This record gives sequence, C-alpha cells and structure tokens, in this order.
Amino acid sequence: MRRGSIVQLVLLGVLFGGGAAAVALLVPWLPDPASEQADRIDFVFWFVTTICIAIFALVAAVIVYSLIKFRARPDDDSDGPPVHGHTGLEIVWTAVPAILVTAISIVSAVVLARNDHLPQASAAGPKDPLKPLIVKVTAQQFAWLFTYPAYGNVTTSTLRLPLHVPVDLKLKSLDVIHSFWVPEFGQKQDAVPGLDTHVVVTPKRLGTFPVICTELCGLGHALMRSWTTVMPRADFVKWANAQKKATGGGASGGATAAGKTIFVNNGCNGCHTFKPAAANGTVGPDLDKLTEAAKKAGQPLDAFIRQSIVDPNAYIAPGYPKGVMPETFASLPKPQLDALVKFLSGGSK
Amino acid sequence: MSGAVIGFHEHEAQAEHSPPAPPPRGIHRFLAPGWLRTLWTIPLFFGIGAGLVVLIRWLETWHPIWPGSIITTVELTTVPLGFLVGIGGFDYWFRYASGAPTAPEDHSGHGAQSWKDYFRINTDHKVIGIQYLVTTIVFFVIAGLLAMFMRAELARPGMQFVDNQTFNGLFSVHAALMIFLFVIPAFAGIGNYVIPLMLGAPDMAFPRLNALSFWLLPIAGVMMVSSFLVPGGPFAAGWTNYATLSIHQPLGNTFFSMAVQWAGASSIMTALNFLVTIITMRAPGMTFWRMPLLVWANFTTSLLVVIATPFIAGSQFFVMFDRVMHTHFFDWTAGGYPLGYQHIFWFYSHPAVYIMMLPGFGIASEVISVMARKPIFGYRLMAVSLMAILVLGFSVWAHHMFVAGMAPWLRVPMMVTSMVIAVPTGIKVFSWLATLWEGRIHFYTPMLFALGFVSMFVIGGLSGIYLAAVPIDIHASDTYFVVAHIHYVLFGGSLFTIFAGIYFWFPKMTGKMYDERLGKLHFWLTFVGFNLTFFPMHWLGLQGMPRRVADYAPRFADLNLFISIASFGLGASTLVFLYNMVKSWRFGEPAPANPWRSLTLEWQVSSPPPIFNFDEIPQVVGNPYEYGVPGARHGVFNGERVHEEEQVPV
Repeated sequence: MRRGSIVQLVLLGVLFGGGAAAVALLVPWLPDPASEQADRIDFVFWFVTTICIAIFALVAAVIVYSLIKFRARPDDDSDGPPVHGHTGLEIVWTAVPAILVTAISIVSAVVLARNDHLPQASAAGPKDPLKPLIVKVTAQQFAWLFTYPAYGNVTTSTLRLPLHVPVDLKLKSLDVIHSFWVPEFGQKQDAVPGLDTHVVVTPKRLGTFPVICTELCGLGHALMRSWTTVMPRADFVKWANAQKKATGGGASGGATAAGKTIFVNNGCNGCHTFKPAAANGTVGPDLDKLTEAAKKAGQPLDAFIRQSIVDPNAYIAPGYPKGVMPETFASLPKPQLDALVKFLSGGSK
Repeated sequence: MSGAVIGFHEHEAQAEHSPPAPPPRGIHRFLAPGWLRTLWTIPLFFGIGAGLVVLIRWLETWHPIWPGSIITTVELTTVPLGFLVGIGGFDYWFRYASGAPTAPEDHSGHGAQSWKDYFRINTDHKVIGIQYLVTTIVFFVIAGLLAMFMRAELARPGMQFVDNQTFNGLFSVHAALMIFLFVIPAFAGIGNYVIPLMLGAPDMAFPRLNALSFWLLPIAGVMMVSSFLVPGGPFAAGWTNYATLSIHQPLGNTFFSMAVQWAGASSIMTALNFLVTIITMRAPGMTFWRMPLLVWANFTTSLLVVIATPFIAGSQFFVMFDRVMHTHFFDWTAGGYPLGYQHIFWFYSHPAVYIMMLPGFGIASEVISVMARKPIFGYRLMAVSLMAILVLGFSVWAHHMFVAGMAPWLRVPMMVTSMVIAVPTGIKVFSWLATLWEGRIHFYTPMLFALGFVSMFVIGGLSGIYLAAVPIDIHASDTYFVVAHIHYVLFGGSLFTIFAGIYFWFPKMTGKMYDERLGKLHFWLTFVGFNLTFFPMHWLGLQGMPRRVADYAPRFADLNLFISIASFGLGASTLVFLYNMVKSWRFGEPAPANPWRSLTLEWQVSSPPPIFNFDEIPQVVGNPYEYGVPGARHGVFNGERVHEEEQVPV
C-alpha cells in the first residue's frame, strides 16, 4: 500500500469519525437523566458510542475509498489481484472486535450490578421507611397504581418519589404483561402476571416525568400512561403522612371505607367518575349514574353492578366500546366483591 | 455424488422416452390434480372439519353444537388440506402408500411452457423458485401497504384513521407477513432457483416435496391477510404474540397461530430439501470447500430452520390450546408460566434473525466477489464464521428478555454470548471490505444493493451492540430504538440482499436483462428513503417513544410527520422496482448466458437454463471465486474434462 493512499484513507476516516462524533454530540440523544441509575446507563451508552464511532469511521472510510479508487470503467474487463486472504489481517479483525466486546461486556456487567444494588437499612437500627422506600406498583389494563406499604397502604394513580432516596419498585400485574418505564430514570421492568418483579430507582433530580407502559398490553396500550413526581424528601414524607391520615390507614374503617379502598386499589378511579371515592375518570361510564343505567339495562341495581364487574361485556352502556373494561375483576375474592358492590350501590342511592 | 450422476441419466432417459400424458377431458378435468379439483375438495374438507366438530360435540352432548370459533379453528387445518389435495400435492404419495400403481414419472410436471405452468404443482426447482419469489413479492407489497397505513396514522399525534385494535392489527400483520411470507421464503425462493444450479445438480433432491412446500406458503399468507375479515379483527398481539395477552385475544389470533404452522412446515420441508440436496447432489469435484458461499449460507440456514422452527410451532400450539382447549400453559391464574412462552418463542425467533440474514450474507458474497473481480477474501473463514453464527445463535435468545422478569443471573451470560456474535459477523464485514480492496468494481444494481447492505448492516450491527449491553437495553428495549434496529438489520440487511439477489439472477431466471437505469433509480430511492425513515427512530426511542403505539406524546409530532413522509417515498420506490421487473421480464433485452462474467456453475448454462439444468454433467475443478487467476476454472463440462485423481467415473 502506498503512503499516499494511507494518508487519504486516514483523512477519510477522520472525516467520517468526526461527522459521526458531531451527530453523536450535537443531537441530544438521551433524556436528561433524573436518577443515579440513568447516569450509569449514560456512561455505558457513551462508552459503546465511542467504540462504535471508531468502527463506523473505519468501515465507512474503506468503503468510500474503495468506491472512489477501485471503480472500474465499464469497458474494463480486467480482474483484480487474486488475493485469497491474509492470515495476519484475519487474526487482527477477529481479535480486536473480541477485545472490544469483552470490554463492553465488563463495563455493562459492572453497571448492571450497581444499578440492581439496593442499600438496606441495618437490622440493628430503627426502621427507616425511606431506606429503601418500597412502592408496590400494580399494573392492569390500562392503568398504573402505586401503593406505599410504609404509609398505611396509601394508593395513588400517580407516583410520587422522594429525592435521593433509593426506591424499590415491586411490580405486579393483574392481567397481562405490562412494562414500567420512566425514560428519565433509564430503568425499565416488565410486570408479569403471577410473578413478582422489581426494579431500583434512586431519583436525583426534581421534576415530573412520564410513566409509560412499553409492553403491548391490548387496546389501550398507548393510553397506559401516568406521571411520576420527584419531590424533596421532607415534602414527600409530609405528603405521604397526610395521605395516610386521610384514607384512615386502609381497609380497617368499616364497610364503606373497605369498599372505597377496594375501589381505589383496583384502579376503578382511573377510568370512572364516582363522587364517594372522589374519582373523576372519564374513560368508562359515570358511576354516579348507576341507578339510571341499571334501569336502562332492566336489572335490579345490585345484580347489575355485580354483573358489570365480573362480566363487563354482558351489557355495554350506550356510547362506550366493548372489551375495554378488564374482565380480571371477576377474580376478586367474594367478600371484597360484595363490599365493592355495596359501596357502589350505596353511593348512587 | 454418484447418486446425482445416476439420477441425471434417469431424468434424461425418461424425458426422452416417455411423452407426457394427454390433458384430461370432460369430467376427468375435475378429477385430475389442479384448480378445478379444488372446487370440490375444499368443500369436502370443510365438511369433514365441521362434521368432526359437530359429531364429537353431539356425542359428548356439549352445547352449542355449532360453535363458530371452534369450527373456524379446525377449518384452518382442514380447508388448506383440502386445497392441497385438490391441487395435487399428495397424489403421488397417496398412490404409493395405498399400493396403487404410481404414474411413471414423465416429467409433465416439470418446467414451464406458459404462465399457466406457474399456477400448478410443478416439480421444477426453477419454476418453484420463481413461484416463491413472485408470491413473496405479492405479500411484501401487501405488508408494505399495511406499514403505509400505520405511518399515515402516526403522522400526527392522536387518532385519525384507525382505532386502537385496528392499529395493533396493522403492525402485527405487517411484521408477520414481512417475516414469514417475505424475508424467509424469498431467500428460500432464490436458494431454490440457484442452489441446484450452483451445485451442478439437475434439480433438488425431493422435487415433489419441494412443490408441496411452496404451496403451503400462499395458504399461510392468505390466512394471515384474511384475519382482517374475522369478527373481532385481525391478530393484534404483535408478531411476537406474547402470552398472556394473546390468550385473551379475539378469534383472529388463531389465524396467526395456524398460519405460522403452515409457513413453518413449508420452511422446515424446504430446509430438509436443501440439506439433502447440498449433501448428496454436488457435482463431481464439488467438495465442501469448493461450494460457493451462497450454498454454505443456505446450508447453515437450513440447519437453523430444522432445529429452531419446531419451537415457534410449539409456542403457537400452546397459545392456541390455551385459547381453544382451555389448557393452562401460560395462564397464571391456573398455575401456568407466562415467561415460558417467551423462552420458547425466542428460542426460535432469535435464530430466525439469522435465518433471515445468513442467506443474505451468501448473496452479498456472490455479488461482491463477481463485481469487484476479486476472489472472496478469506473464503474458509467466511464459511467457518457462518457456522459460528449458527452455533452461537442458539445461545443468545434471552437477550430479548432482559427486562422480562426472568432469572436475573441469566442476563450477563446472555449478554456475553450476544456480544461474541459480533466477532464472526465482524469477520464477514471486514472480509467483504478486503474483497473490495484493489478490485475492479463495477457498479451494477446488484452491487449497489450489496454495498448498501454492507453499510446499513454495519449500522444495524452497531445498534445491536447497544441492545446487547444490558444497562442500555433496559432503557431502550420496547422503544422505537428497537424498531430502528430491526429495520436496519432486516430492511437494510435482508431486504437489500434480496433485491441484490433478484437483480443479480434476474437475467438467469427470465433470460432477459433488467433495466439498469431503473435499477439504479430504485436503489437510490430506496437507500435514501430507508435512511430518512428509520434513522430518526433511534432518537425517538431513546427519548421516550415506546413502540407499538397508535398515539404518542405531542413533542414527537414533527419528527413523526417527517418519518411518515419519508416512508411514503420509500414505499413509492417499490413501484419503480415492480415496473422494472414486469417491463423487463416482458420486453427486456435477451440476456447472455453469463452477463456478469461469473465463474460459478449457474452462469455456465444458457439463460434461462435447460429444463434439467445441465445438458452434460459439469465437473468441478477449482474454487468458485478465482477471479484474476489466469486460466482458472470452477467447473468444466464433459467435452473439455480435465483428469483429476479424485475424478468420479461418469
């Protein structure tokens, strides 16, 4: 190989490498990280990007150089030199990529281990609910529910998290597979029916970020969104304690409270309006008007409510599509179902 | 090898001595194999299917006695069988199995004199190859149109043209058709046409099986498309059809489960045929180390198909049983295991990525070597890396499941094996580059597509490294980044090589030259349209747009509109291709036997080749890519045979 062609090749390589680097640096490829995990993911991303730019520059330079230099004229019937191979070169391009991918694997494995790590409160000291904060995430078609066991099982449909506190999100699905993702947190985990999964997030930036379902879960998959708000630690504790007081600490406050808890915990408020539960969802029919709806369906109120929960497609309120309301509530335990029916019929009388 | 020689003489003798039987007349036209016979065999088998269901339910006193969805499920097996029986897929074997005298092989089912011969059971691998290619291009166009509908919906946020269920159906059917009815069988079609010619064989090892495996394919395609007509809409759980979503889907889902069985059976039978053909029907002197790389590629692909495809068949049967027969393979409420589905599914579907890629590697090697006028660089390492991909391909499936909730310890080993696959793939890319180096490069359309493939596949391969690295994958999985990645691999990779292969062998297949100017126009429109459509998707995914959604955050609106416009241009570029193919096939310049001055055997016979490929048996005396070696030959024919010690007596 002549010296001139090496220079030209290197120049082309620098050109393509520089171009690719410009594309990589000038475009904001990743969301502004809002968790310590996302910072580490970004590090792996840039580590891989550096290697990829080098490989891309090499390949692009050789292709473009060849296309320019070795272009044959249409009437040129000659053949190229009969080179069959070069053992040294073949060893190099087997060994170098092997080393590079090994390096990427090691970096990835280390980051993965750190991102999975969950600092535990020491067994001896006083129990701190924020070390780590445990949040139960319940996914179902097509809503998210977040429960805080350390605060009397307060349940909300948006996620609130304290800043700089490691959070263990314990995921559960009631029907099909969903996936929890907050792009700014970088972390993602499927919620699988019948399986307990979890993911660790340590928020490091205040703000409100989208919660997105990323596993196709049916009709309303694109609508299965919520929000997460990262708030200062003290504000979070204040909010959580206030919520705990307001909901009476769960299902222990009589039949109405039990029915209300079941209503909220199962995410009914995500889709339905119902004043006694302070619910104002608009996806499904307005449950404050259950009495009229039962009349329209020609059924006694309680029977109508029960049927609508366990077999939602048996009667579809006019103007609403079939198959949107999940059928999974049929599997509610009988006492809970009874309480829920009572709560709903009581509210609309 | 001697088997091939004997077979050759048999073919020749019978072709000369037994004239084809006269065409049937009158009522016999309804009894002879063909479309007229399907007119009564399809209703007959429909009756058998429905009758079986009704009989069993009547005997068991189940109600209702006429359950539409169950009968439909059974009919998806029996009606296609009726079609195959009618068209004549089983005639010879029926007679053989029942002890009836089999019709002497008069080769009337071989070759094509008119267009009608492409619409019947035909045992000629060249006819079958073209049947495959035309059929797959039809489904390619349909699947492409579905993508256009999707992009129309995605041009603006919110819902405009379709509802959610339809949209889910659009991308599910698009992907299923592209994978099972286009990429995989299009490669089978090119292989079918070219491989016996490359090996110096008169046909595939099992021509009747070959014909049958083709006719399973339109069945699968029609089944997938017709799911749009079913109550409840088409299958809409993605081509991945994940349980537990799929077991609660409407009837259309069964159409996917069953179509995959037909396409899979077709795939397995073709792969067996390729394996036996490649192992037993090589011409004298064609050792494994003298086989062209396309043959090597189809050999490894066929091994992947026969080992892996039964797994997707199993996964879809399980889903269907859960849906129809109330089994609980994946139903967690009854003790089923939802993740089991994904393990079985990806144990096929990751190797399937290589099923969709390795034949493309083979085509690229053929085209690049011939059009750069140089021997392929590192031929043996190229073949060995194919085998390495084959073996490694079975050890990486769970990299699709890094966020799926599987055992956490499984992630790092699966990452390492996935990373290691980059090594043999890298060897191939670098060897292609080294083949170009100091070549005499001719930029005909196939070469443009082959080089387009190499450069796009490098980008797809590099984005694959991101997805193999677990922490990045956790962020990027199930987003548009993945959509971008698979299209760089399957569109920029597989589809570009399919186009390269079609243009490259078009003169051989049709005897006509394609229009070079239109070919180049097609390439540039496709290349530019492809990059404008799919490159921005990387950004969308990393920023937070999940895949498989009909609606998205307003901040992604402008880029999605841009992508939609680019995709319409990309779709329109296909019209140039279709026009070129139809026009050139009909009115093109007659093609010489060897327009590319290639050394491999298929170019040493006329275009199109004689009915039994070789009027005399070629003898292989050297390597297939000896460009630039003075006086080098790959194959020689009887008249000019050189004497080698290993020569097999003819």
